[in-house]
Amino acid sequence: MIVADQLNKHFKIYETKKGFIGSFTSLLSTKHHVVKAVNDISFNIGEGEFVGYIGPNGAGKSTTIKMLSGILHPTGGSIKVAGLSPQKRRKEVAKKIGIVFGQRTQLWWDLPLRDSFDILKEMYKVPDAKYQAFLKLYDDMLQIGQFMNTPVRKLSLGQRMRGDLAAAMIHDPDVLFLDEPTIGLDVNAKTSIRSFLKELNTKEKKTILLTTHDMDDIEQLCSRVIVINHGQIVLDGSITDLRHNIGLPSVIEVQYREKPQHLPAEFDGIEKIRWEDDKLILMYDRSVLSSPSLLQEVSKWGEPVDIQMKEPDIEEVIQKIY
Amino acid sequence: MNLYLKLLSGSLRSRMQYKMNFLVSSLSYGLIMAVDFVLLAAILQRFDDVKGWNLYEVGLLYGISSVAITLYRVFGVEIHNFERYMVEGEFDSLLIRPVSPLSLLLTKNLDLSRIGGTAQGVIILVISIIGLSIDNFDRFLLLLYLPISIASGVVICFSLGLLTATLAFWTQRIKDFQTFTLYAPFNAANYPMNIYPGWLKIIFFTVIPVGFMNYTPILYLLDKGGSIWNLAWPPAVALVFLFLSLRFWYFGIRHYHSTGS
Repeated sequence: MIVADQLNKHFKIYETKKGFIGSFTSLLSTKHHVVKAVNDISFNIGEGEFVGYIGPNGAGKSTTIKMLSGILHPTGGSIKVAGLSPQKRRKEVAKKIGIVFGQRTQLWWDLPLRDSFDILKEMYKVPDAKYQAFLKLYDDMLQIGQFMNTPVRKLSLGQRMRGDLAAAMIHDPDVLFLDEPTIGLDVNAKTSIRSFLKELNTKEKKTILLTTHDMDDIEQLCSRVIVINHGQIVLDGSITDLRHNIGLPSVIEVQYREKPQHLPAEFDGIEKIRWEDDKLILMYDRSVLSSPSLLQEVSKWGEPVDIQMKEPDIEEVIQKIY
Repeated sequence: MNLYLKLLSGSLRSRMQYKMNFLVSSLSYGLIMAVDFVLLAAILQRFDDVKGWNLYEVGLLYGISSVAITLYRVFGVEIHNFERYMVEGEFDSLLIRPVSPLSLLLTKNLDLSRIGGTAQGVIILVISIIGLSIDNFDRFLLLLYLPISIASGVVICFSLGLLTATLAFWTQRIKDFQTFTLYAPFNAANYPMNIYPGWLKIIFFTVIPVGFMNYTPILYLLDKGGSIWNLAWPPAVALVFLFLSLRFWYFGIRHYHSTGS
């Protein structure tokens, strides 16, 4: 469904200056350096797969998605989405894919959500009957009906994201590109969006490529993970592979009334211990060591005054690969 | 077509969300242009004519030029403010649609506050045509030709706007350029071209061909010189320029495909 073959994207970064004279000279200047944003990436995503595409900021995730959707053209290599090249046949591919950028809404800011849908319906030439069915289905799945007549700028982030997701599905595309759809959302909103995506994938058999910084998104949704760093694939496999390779460490921070003198050098399930000022940071593997028994263990070492549980972020996970 | 109507009605309704702002800006824009012309009229009252052109004759040039640029400002508002798409990275969201980015831009928004300027230009045209001391047949010809002249002006203005917007693919910001490619030339075209020094005239009849939209045909229609071919120049220049600007625009998009913003 999505095939990338030896994909490369190099950017020339020109030095730009300010002001009229500056913008004019930067027009003519040739001073630049080359950044390999995507460096020889190949993958093949089959129909109905749900793939997590992860990596630290600047790893090349967005650049890849922009190439897959036809916004950018690769410096080298080829792409096929639903059998077509998004570079040569951008408009046809646009009808077969849905895209959501979590950072930026595709909806008409000042208009009610319904108007955005109406405009998109015309743009994608969706027949009336199909459109009515769409509205009903997505009201069931995302409860968008309750804020259909509210201007988009007045929606909460969670509502807006649900609106954006529905808008991306209006032409019933087979492929979905989601660029950080859960960014900035609270736990409830994340949960409802995840269950919606799960349903899209299992019931509607949509092929989904998702980039995220949230490890929970990956764990709960993706059957396959592609990890990239510095423009190259460092891992392509199942979530179990990811766990085997690097583990998915959970983190707790413990603050003691008095700093304990002796810490155990090794403990089954704890992967890493370090001090950050007066806080003790522990990374552990939840599949080996349960959180309650870890809590029991750390309170043996001293008298804790504050304990915080944290989910690992992608940066830390990626660092572990090296 | 259906899509165009939907998009335009959407844009109108978004505008109406900020009613006060809309009213104040259309009023003030119309007022600024009116004051501008009153000043010109005052000067002409005093000096009778500029290089052989009296108030009503200059009014014709002025009216055509200001109707043309304000119509462009009404319909081409997103082209005119194109740098936003580069600076804020919004151009990506145009490229994910199954419609060409240019049609999306043209349908996305209308700037109705500029209609005030168009109305003012039309009023000046009406006053000028009535005030001209020519016979009725010539007046009739003038009326007949005016739409062609205005349409050519709008197309020339749109082409210049698009050429300038395309620069944003390389420079990101274009506001500085617009002064030179749009505002100054269209202000200059309010007056007869023969008042300008040679090098400026060359510019206005080549790279920024605003001279063709009003000066060239009016020269012939007012019997001040030129041949009947003067009437063919405006639409011809407009079409050639439109073609060139579209080519440059697509070249810019190809550049964007390879660089992003």
